[in-house]
Amino acid sequence: MAAKAGASPATYSPSPTTYKKNRPPIFTDVDWVRPDGRDFHQCRPAFLRTGAVNAASGSAYAEFGNTKVMVSIFGPRESKKAMIYSDIGRLNCNASDNKEISSQLHKSLEGAIMLDTFPKTTVDVFALVLESGGCDLPVVISCASLALADAGIMMYDLVAAVSVVCTSSCLGKNLVIDPVSEEENYQDGGLMITCLPSRNEVTQLTITGEWSTPKIHEAMELCLDACSKLGKIMRSCLKESSSTSQE
Amino acid sequence: MRGMEMSLNQTQKLRLQRALELLETLSSGINSNSSVTVADTIPVNQEDGVLKGHGTTELEGEVVATVCGVIERVNKLVYVRTLRARYKPEVGDIIVGRVIEVAPKRWRLEINFSQDAVLMLSSMNLPDGIQRRRTAVDELNMRSIFEDDDVICAEVRDFMRDGSLQLQARSQKYGKLERGQMLTISPYLIKRRKQHFHHLDQYGIDLILGCNGFIWVGEHVETKDNMIEEEPIKPDPQNNKSKTSMSLEEEEQTYTPLETRQNICRIANAIRVLSTLGFSITIDVILDVVDLSISKGLDIHEMLGAEFSVLVAEREAERRNSSTRRKR
Repeated sequence: MAAKAGASPATYSPSPTTYKKNRPPIFTDVDWVRPDGRDFHQCRPAFLRTGAVNAASGSAYAEFGNTKVMVSIFGPRESKKAMIYSDIGRLNCNASDNKEISSQLHKSLEGAIMLDTFPKTTVDVFALVLESGGCDLPVVISCASLALADAGIMMYDLVAAVSVVCTSSCLGKNLVIDPVSEEENYQDGGLMITCLPSRNEVTQLTITGEWSTPKIHEAMELCLDACSKLGKIMRSCLKESSSTSQE
Repeated sequence: MRGMEMSLNQTQKLRLQRALELLETLSSGINSNSSVTVADTIPVNQEDGVLKGHGTTELEGEVVATVCGVIERVNKLVYVRTLRARYKPEVGDIIVGRVIEVAPKRWRLEINFSQDAVLMLSSMNLPDGIQRRRTAVDELNMRSIFEDDDVICAEVRDFMRDGSLQLQARSQKYGKLERGQMLTISPYLIKRRKQHFHHLDQYGIDLILGCNGFIWVGEHVETKDNMIEEEPIKPDPQNNKSKTSMSLEEEEQTYTPLETRQNICRIANAIRVLSTLGFSITIDVILDVVDLSISKGLDIHEMLGAEFSVLVAEREAERRNSSTRRKR
């Protein structure tokens, strides 16, 4: 608080020392070693399970390193909010009242779900981040699409999401894929892609911060490649769960 | 196993594994080639003569799945059947549902479906049994017939234009269900049969297997003849609360004996065990499980334990094994 004693507090101006991020000085020529020993272009191993929640129509649990997320799907069911008749269904996303994650989740999923297969009803998606270890939103999106497939909602394809951060001052001018929270704090810019791997279509692309054009191209290619690999892992998880319940 | 919340010790796990493996080998004709996940291409022989059914869509001339499940082919129709299918209603299905709202001239029921079902006042027998037009007084007395949270048995009459169901309860065997338990299981475990109402004489219990996955287990009620003069329903609120202010003699008459209540719980637990293990629910299997629990001398609450589930799985595997051997 920069209010001086006796001065009238008409406007608030933050003091110059408070808005600089609390970074320890890191020199650009020092090589950053990732805390879990990964390569800069290596993603965390993914642990995916469907059927975590019994009460829900479909559910999934995802663990990417320290980021643990559980998503449950309810529906299609009637909703008190939808008063008007609509010939397409509604998708309602809630990520424990975090409006930003909820709205981004909604944008990335609505491109993949066939909404006209459940008219007049609503599909509710509830995401719960049990532990946040960086790269939360992409994990939530991937987990949500797995849960939707588990619930039997018709979709064009599974949604895989990966994010990349670019750093120019701290981590040695590298593109770091699947960042942990520490790396996310040091970022100069972030890029997240959610795509449909088999169809090669993108449902959402979010770019924030400072980027140069060649870096964007490189980051996008990196992400799309990682998404297709994540897509394969998600399909093998679904096949495994469906083979155990085929009795 | 989905829904299995109990911890099994090592030997129990092995036994369960063995029983499930035996069941899998006996299950007919499911090969892993035909299981698909979302956006898998479905192999079709003739591109021009194929009908794309439920769960498929077309992408660049290829048939692609939109849900995870098993491919079924019937002549030229190709569709994907989901493994844990949602309830698919058909006209004539017996339904057990719970009233969630009393609306003008209708009741809204919750059944295990994407939308609520509607039971019109005109599709319901009046308490005095006379066939007549429903007047405004009847509409005001709807709560004396069914109230919120009542469990009702009805039949599907037809579908409304937006896909929701219309029910009818015009026979004596339909109507409000009292003095029992309602269970919720997955709808695909109940296959459509000729009989959904079962009267178990030896236990004195009525069992209704609703096609929507709701099962009612309750004390046996003789279907009353509505022609007998009953106390006329007075439209004042005091009479609606008559359940709570019954005289002592009336309470004695409606008292359910302890043995019947224990039988209700035993049968309900048998259904719960079968649904956790994912076996189809039919009246024979339920009675088999109940006999097994009585012969082993298990208490009712022990039926939900790990040991009994393993026993039921082994018994079912044995039963199917012997029936397939008999067929050969």
